[in-house]
Amino acid sequence: MRAEAVSKHRGGMWAWLFQRVTAVLLIVMLAIHLTVTHLYNIGKINYDTIGARVAHAGFTAVDIILLAAGIFHALNGLRMVLMDYWFTSRDRARILTIVFWVIGVVALAYGIWALWPWIGYQVR
Amino acid sequence: MSVKNRATANVGAGLWKATGMWAWLLFRISGVILALYLFLHIIVISTGRWTGAGKTLNSLMKFFDHPALVVLDLALVVAVLYHALNGVRIILMDLGIGTKQHKIMFWCAMGVVVICFAIFAWVAFTFIATGKGALS
Repeated sequence: MRAEAVSKHRGGMWAWLFQRVTAVLLIVMLAIHLTVTHLYNIGKINYDTIGARVAHAGFTAVDIILLAAGIFHALNGLRMVLMDYWFTSRDRARILTIVFWVIGVVALAYGIWALWPWIGYQVR
Repeated sequence: MSVKNRATANVGAGLWKATGMWAWLLFRISGVILALYLFLHIIVISTGRWTGAGKTLNSLMKFFDHPALVVLDLALVVAVLYHALNGVRIILMDLGIGTKQHKIMFWCAMGVVVICFAIFAWVAFTFIATGKGALS
């Protein structure tokens, strides 16, 4: 796993660094997210309880960071996998990178759109 | 692994005896599963805006409380914990920590996976058996 991480012509230094940065963010934020949703709110998740959680400024931050860091980490990870199998040449890799950036930006915008009504949500 | 043998990522059957190669393969598989789940998760949560007052979201969430899906969720927890803890080990090794004891590091990470999983499994099976959260 080190070989793929440090090889210079595969992926690039910034992608490698951000993969580590987002990894650390995801571990901390996911620990909070999973403790709240799976351990304390199991069986109680619905539109209102999600709203009550996201309404809290701290959890708005947790969810937005999870969304952004998760999308980057997931797409960059898939990109590294695909570059080992078919997107092996520089040109193919470049197309993959551009397509994944477009998917990532769209997914982030869609995710924020989905969370939007819950930010500052008042439970009825 | 030697650079010469690395036309693609995982060629070289002899290498598969090493713990590190299995760790790498499981890391990759769990990563792909989690990446796909993330996009599914975004779509599921976005159903909150599809119909008025989150009707679709609420019926989906009720559906996810089915015992079979709670168990499937638990499988996802395994993927998350494995990927997270093996990731911690990789970052530590990138920082030069424990490179000489990487096998011990791996099994310590797996120990943490088992402990965390036990907590999630206890909550999940309590929910399946009683319909209540063990911690809520």
